[in-house]
Amino acid sequence: MAKPAVRLGVVQIGLLAALAALVLRAAQVQLVEGRRHAAEAAAQRTERVVLEARRGMLSDRHGTALALTQETYHVGIAPNELRDPRGDAPLLARRLRLAPRELDRALRRRYAWFAGPYTSLDVQPLRAVRGVHLEAVLRRFYPSAEFARAVIGRVGDDGLGASGLERLLDSLLSGTPGAAVVLKDRAGREYESPARVIAEPTPGHDVVLTLDAELQEIAQRALDDALDRMDAEGGDVVMLDPVTGEVLAVASRHRDGTARPSAFTETFEPGSLAKIFAAAALLEHGRVRAAERVSGEGGSYRMPGRPTPLTDEHPLPSLTLADAIRVSSNIALAKFAARLKPDEQYETLRAFGVGAPTGIEFPAEAQGKLRLPSEWTGPSSTSLAIGYELSVTPLQLAAAYGAIANDGVLLQPTLIREVRDPSGAVRYRHRPEPVRRAVTPQVAARLRDLLRGVVEAGGTGERAALANFQLAAKTGTARRVVDGRYAPGQYTASFAALFPADDPQLVVVMKIDNPQKGSYFAAQTAAPVTRSMLEQALAARTVALDRARLSNVAPTAERAPLEEPDGVVPYVVSVPYAPDSTRAQPARAVPDVTGRGLREAARTLHRRGFRVVVKGWGVVHHSWPAAGASAAAGSTVTLFAEPRP
Amino acid sequence: MIKGRHWLAIWLVALLAALWAVIARQTASLNAARALTDLRAQRAGLEGRRDELERRIRTAGSRAVLLPRAERLGLRLPADTEIILIPVSPPR
Repeated sequence: MAKPAVRLGVVQIGLLAALAALVLRAAQVQLVEGRRHAAEAAAQRTERVVLEARRGMLSDRHGTALALTQETYHVGIAPNELRDPRGDAPLLARRLRLAPRELDRALRRRYAWFAGPYTSLDVQPLRAVRGVHLEAVLRRFYPSAEFARAVIGRVGDDGLGASGLERLLDSLLSGTPGAAVVLKDRAGREYESPARVIAEPTPGHDVVLTLDAELQEIAQRALDDALDRMDAEGGDVVMLDPVTGEVLAVASRHRDGTARPSAFTETFEPGSLAKIFAAAALLEHGRVRAAERVSGEGGSYRMPGRPTPLTDEHPLPSLTLADAIRVSSNIALAKFAARLKPDEQYETLRAFGVGAPTGIEFPAEAQGKLRLPSEWTGPSSTSLAIGYELSVTPLQLAAAYGAIANDGVLLQPTLIREVRDPSGAVRYRHRPEPVRRAVTPQVAARLRDLLRGVVEAGGTGERAALANFQLAAKTGTARRVVDGRYAPGQYTASFAALFPADDPQLVVVMKIDNPQKGSYFAAQTAAPVTRSMLEQALAARTVALDRARLSNVAPTAERAPLEEPDGVVPYVVSVPYAPDSTRAQPARAVPDVTGRGLREAARTLHRRGFRVVVKGWGVVHHSWPAAGASAAAGSTVTLFAEPRP
Repeated sequence: MIKGRHWLAIWLVALLAALWAVIARQTASLNAARALTDLRAQRAGLEGRRDELERRIRTAGSRAVLLPRAERLGLRLPADTEIILIPVSPPR
């Protein structure tokens, strides 16, 4: 047996060795493997979460929200955490919109999860219920679900734009997600502790569209009513500001219920709407004089090289170019167009944008069809002059008619007016983008004159005529192509209008596919609907019409005297002062309205162009300025009234 | 002269004070986090309410709702002849 000193030495060496092993192991754990263990610990105790960025808002040109992001919730329930399962059940069922039996079944599980999504209003009373866990998710919300649905599009389940502008503008709208680290317990549940934010989410940009909510509603409603009344297969309406190229309204509807943006993506043969482009080519190349006439051929004429005869519904003995446009004569236009070389005809159509996409910010815009002159057959020139052998979208037509309104300059249409960053600063503002000059200003003015005739008495578009404002327009009734062939008995009725004819502010293109009830002619279908839309636009206060400019354009005719009461109270629209578009008005005599009722007196003064302020009640005693005195149009006349004797 | 057990007491008090400070800070931050969460929920609730009201106002003010009601009251949209635009002279 060794001596105690030796044994003690051995024990000491053993202890030292153990201590050294411990220190070495600690050094290995801390120094060598420290990072790995730290990472494992962090992974067990913390979680990196993505902080969703709020998607930018889409609004109309007046700031009305069309698409915005809302916080909604998924709801999880841990039944074993509920304090009073029976007592809480009715509240849970009501708020989660579940049948009691359905909820009961769900609560038998260990953890019930309801995807919803539920709005914050739905879940507000559930916040106080123990055992209910809310998971916030951002969801896209459309205050008016059907408002320009096909154009605005939708967001997919992945939160990315799936269609329409939501898709096209996704990179602008979606923003940049942030990140945060949260602490978890052993079971993986998040501690109710402040998260460590690594990067704050950056909200997306807000986009102001060019659409006008009120015009859009007018267009959608008019289209819906027209299609129901005419039992039509579908239709489109496009409204455009010809001075800026901004699309103010675009509506499409189809009988099959699909929300297709067909105004941008589906083409049709425009028929007589394209006659104005043939007229443009004739005028641009000086191939016709204003007084020159061609024979109407009694309404039927066989063009050389064309297998079927051309016909006119209401033939005239002889026609000028203006007559040909006014009554939409196929024969006269074909005869005039025969003077054009194929290249001239093609170049004019091309200059108006036929056969090329407009460049609007919309996915999958159709470009239409216009064949090269080298591919034309014998009758092609005639067909193109009367709107066949080419196809366009309603938007292309609106842009082309916009060029006529805009002194011959074709503008690129747009749907985007402004882009604002999250701080509200404007990052982009639309400026009119000229594509090319289609015709000279003189030819454009001449074309507007031709179109003005269409809406006058005897013109095909007279049912669109407004009493107080001149319109320049064109009707088109074309055979309809279905599956690559002309469908017997099927027509597309279309109408294009410039409002007002002088200094146009609005281009309206309406198309109705295969109207089956009543007439299929555009003169009886699309024209009156367009008139109704324009009347509604005039009566709407917020519509993007410059009423100061409107008040200065030439009226259709002298306004009817108001002496005979018709029981109608005029709807008076006040005009805000706009120095760039108003001009000095001549003074006029204040009419004598003494002794008249207030309503009648106000109406008389309004008709003469005065504003009215009423003092008192009953019948007019006197006015200021007095009757017969001279006052500027637009100035205020005060009526002093007294009770009836 | 401070004796050993006094030092011990001082260190103990210091330790307790530090622990109390840590717990107080954590409690305050948890309360602040709770208040923040409540405020966020409240804001989300108010935004949801605003959106819902906006939707209802938009629906109630739409032509689809207003026009049939106006027609029942004998009202109608004015024809263009009944709309009078009053021209305004530019200020002198």
